[in-house]
Amino acid sequence: MADEEEEPGFEEEPEEGGCADVFHGRRKRLFSKELRCMMYGFGDDQNPYTESVDILEDLVIEFITEMTHKAMSIGRQGRVQVEDIVFLIRKDPRKFARVKDLLTMNEELKRARKAFDEANYGS
Amino acid sequence: MADPARIKTEETPQTSTAAAGSGSSAGATAGSGSEVDPKPGESSRLTVKPEDDGIGKESSTDRIKPEHKLEMSAGDEEEGTSGQPASKRLKVEPEKKKEKRHKVDEDEIQKMQVLVSSFSEEQLNRYEMYRRSAFPKAAIKRLIQSITGSSVSQNVVIAMSGIAKVFAGEIVEEALDVCEKWGDTPPLQPKHMREAVRRLKSRDQIPNTKHKKIVFH
Repeated sequence: MADEEEEPGFEEEPEEGGCADVFHGRRKRLFSKELRCMMYGFGDDQNPYTESVDILEDLVIEFITEMTHKAMSIGRQGRVQVEDIVFLIRKDPRKFARVKDLLTMNEELKRARKAFDEANYGS
Repeated sequence: MADPARIKTEETPQTSTAAAGSGSSAGATAGSGSEVDPKPGESSRLTVKPEDDGIGKESSTDRIKPEHKLEMSAGDEEEGTSGQPASKRLKVEPEKKKEKRHKVDEDEIQKMQVLVSSFSEEQLNRYEMYRRSAFPKAAIKRLIQSITGSSVSQNVVIAMSGIAKVFAGEIVEEALDVCEKWGDTPPLQPKHMREAVRRLKSRDQIPNTKHKKIVFH
């Protein structure tokens, strides 16, 4: 299937592709700094182990990849839209609530900024 | 003293810029409760400003106030011109619901404020990291676009980074549970993370489309 051909092709960099599990990702680490802060915020030590951060980064990238592939296969094919993400997340209460909150807040901020700009435009 | 109101208003500009979405993952209720705050806070700030400028007062405030009302009611019926008892009854119920929702939000905000005001220094640091950490939007956008091959909207990036943060939080929390259960101490080691992933997988919280389960054979 086309999907499955894409996945190993994409994940060749992080996981398989000739290397053992020792070197995860010839690709540069994308989220090292942010993940460290995040792990501390979620309850880990102030200096988490680099290996743990690496494992978490691989997991997050795999999660995003899976979600993107799933979103591409539903709704409008080949495109990722917010409705698809919301649909995929519907069974997980935490993530669903979080996405709803984020999108609502984004709308409010946009509205507030627009109103503010219009108000300033008058002056 | 860092109270949620202050932390939130510092963060909301961050949400708007390229930086990141403000984060709350495990405490979804806490997050939703405290994030309601910019709503009255920010729009009330806006209604003040045009009045201060003094130019185009009436029209701009009139325009902002109905929006403000819309934001507050969030789709509920508007209080306003009353009519017959039947319509009054209908209006009272959404009002009560709105009041109840506001009360719940207000209660939650109050509780959060009380809680955060009683944090120790270390707890405050951790809470700040918890709220402020986020994935960089540019990297997430690049990642998604490299998978889809076409461009994605900003909302998709916002949603995906938010979900990814919740996902990371779930794993770290489970790993901390494992760590405690095995009698170890933080920092988390890879074996804790892997056991956490194994547990979450058995609960179907980790998406996996690679291995197709054969249902009937």
